[in-house]
Amino acid sequence: MIKVIIGTMLVQMKQSFARPMFRFCLIANPILNTILLYEMYKESGETNYMAYVVLGAGLMGLWSCICFSSAGDINRERYSGTLALIFAAPARFPSIILGKIIGNTIMSLLTMVISLITAKALFGISLKLESPIYFFVALIAAIIAFIVISSVIACILTLSRKTELYMNCIEIPIILLCGFVFPVSVLPYGVRVISYALSPTYAIELMRMAVWGVTDKAVFIEKLGILLGLTVVYAIFSVILYRRIDKRVRIAATLEVA
Amino acid sequence: MIRRFFDQALLYHKGRSAAFQTEEFVLMQIGYPLVTMIFYCLIATFSFNTANLTSWVIGNAFLLCTNACIFGLGGIFVSERYFGRLRSIIASPCSKMSLILASGVFPALFAICSSACGLIVGSIVFGVDFSGVNMPLVALAIIIAMISASCFGLFVSIYGLMTDSMHLILNIVSYLLMIFTGAEFPIKQLPFAGQVIAQMMPLTKAIMAVNKLFEGNVREFSSLIIAEILTGAVYALLTYAIFGFAEKVARRNGKFDMF
Repeated sequence: MIKVIIGTMLVQMKQSFARPMFRFCLIANPILNTILLYEMYKESGETNYMAYVVLGAGLMGLWSCICFSSAGDINRERYSGTLALIFAAPARFPSIILGKIIGNTIMSLLTMVISLITAKALFGISLKLESPIYFFVALIAAIIAFIVISSVIACILTLSRKTELYMNCIEIPIILLCGFVFPVSVLPYGVRVISYALSPTYAIELMRMAVWGVTDKAVFIEKLGILLGLTVVYAIFSVILYRRIDKRVRIAATLEVA
Repeated sequence: MIRRFFDQALLYHKGRSAAFQTEEFVLMQIGYPLVTMIFYCLIATFSFNTANLTSWVIGNAFLLCTNACIFGLGGIFVSERYFGRLRSIIASPCSKMSLILASGVFPALFAICSSACGLIVGSIVFGVDFSGVNMPLVALAIIIAMISASCFGLFVSIYGLMTDSMHLILNIVSYLLMIFTGAEFPIKQLPFAGQVIAQMMPLTKAIMAVNKLFEGNVREFSSLIIAEILTGAVYALLTYAIFGFAEKVARRNGKFDMF
C-alpha cells in the first residue's frame, strides 16, 4: 500500500506540474495574490505582513492547487478513460487517490515559499516567525487536515460529471469561511458557526498564532486538539463515503454518473 | 444579416451553457461571482478598517463580469479548435468581425445582469446608499463597461491561437483586472508604471466614473465614460486586426495555430 501511495505521489507530481493550470495555481497565483493582498493591507496599520499577506496568499494558492488538482483529478481520469481502470485495480482506489492528494499537497506547499519570496523581493517584507516550533507543528497539522479534506472532496466528486463547475465553486467560499486572509471574527455570527465546523479554520488560526507568537500554550493546544478531532471526523466520513460510493458503483457497474 | 448575427450569438450561448442545468448556470454566472465580491469586500472591511464600502462594492460589482467576459469569452478559439470548427471559420468567406462580436453578445448580457445583481446585493449586505445617485447613468456605465470588458475578453481570446495555455492566461488576466482596475484598492497606490497599465485596462475608467457619480461629479463622469468607450473600441479593433493576421498566417502556413 505504501509503495502504491509513494509511486502514485511521484507520478502525480510530474503530471500536475505539466499542466498549465496547476503551474498557475502553484507559481502565478501566490505571486499575484501577494501583490493584491499587500496593496490591500498597505494602509491597514498591520506591521507583521506575514499573518495576512504572506500566509494568506500562500494558503490561497495551496487551496487553489487542492481545488484544481486533487478535486479535479477524478475528472481528468474520467476524461482519459482511466477512472474505471484505477477504480477496479487491485491496488485499491483509495490508495491511489491518497497518493495523488499527498503528492499535490506536498508540492502545493511551494506556494507559501513563493509568496514569501515575492513579498521579500517586491515589498521588502521579512520572515517574522515569533514561535517557529509552534508554526512547524501547526503546519504539519494543517497539511494533514488539507489532505483529509481533499479526500472527502475527491470522494464526493467521483460521482459527478460536473467536477469543473464544483471545483470552481468551492474555491472562494472556503477561503472566505475559513478566514484565510482575515480573521473569522469579521464574519457575521451565523456564518462563523459554519467556519468553526471546517478544519482549515483552526489550521489557519494556529499558524497565525505562531506567526504572532504563542503567548497562551493552552489555547494553542486546545485549537490543535479541535483540529485533530475534526480531521479524524472528516477521515471517518471519507471512509464511509468511499464505501457507499464503491457499493453504488459496483451495483450500477459504471462510474459515468451525473 | 442581423438575424444571422443573433442566431449565431444564440448558438454560441447554447454551446457554452448546454452542459449545465439552469440553477447550475445561475450559480456559475451570478452566485459564485457574488460570493467573490463579498469576499473582497470583507477583506476591505478588515484591511482598510472601514464601514463605508461603496467604492469596493462598485469596483467588485463591475469585476463580476470576469466570469462571463474573460473566462466565457477568452476560451472561444480554444473551444472552436477543440470542436473542429476553427477550420470552417478561417476558411469561410463570412465576416470574421461579426462572428467574433456575436460570441460576445450573451456574455455581455450576463455580465450586465451580474453587475446589476452585484450592486443590489452590495447595497443590501454592505449598506451602500444609492439615494441621490443618478441611476440611469449608473445603468449606462454598467452597459458600457460590460461591452468594453467583452471587447477585452475577445482580445484575450485571440491568444488561444498563439498558445495552448489559455487557462493560465485567463487566470492571470482575471488577477490583473483585480490589481489594475482600482476595484480592490486605489490606483494611486500603484507605482507609476502600474498606473499607466491601469489606464490601459478595461473597467478602470468605468469604475472611476461611477465613483465620481456617487460623489455627485457628473462632468468627470462623462469624460471617463467616453474614455471607457474608446478603450473598448481599441480592444475590438485590435482583436479584428490580430485575428486578420492570424487568418493570413493560417492560410500561408496551412495550419490554424501560431504556436
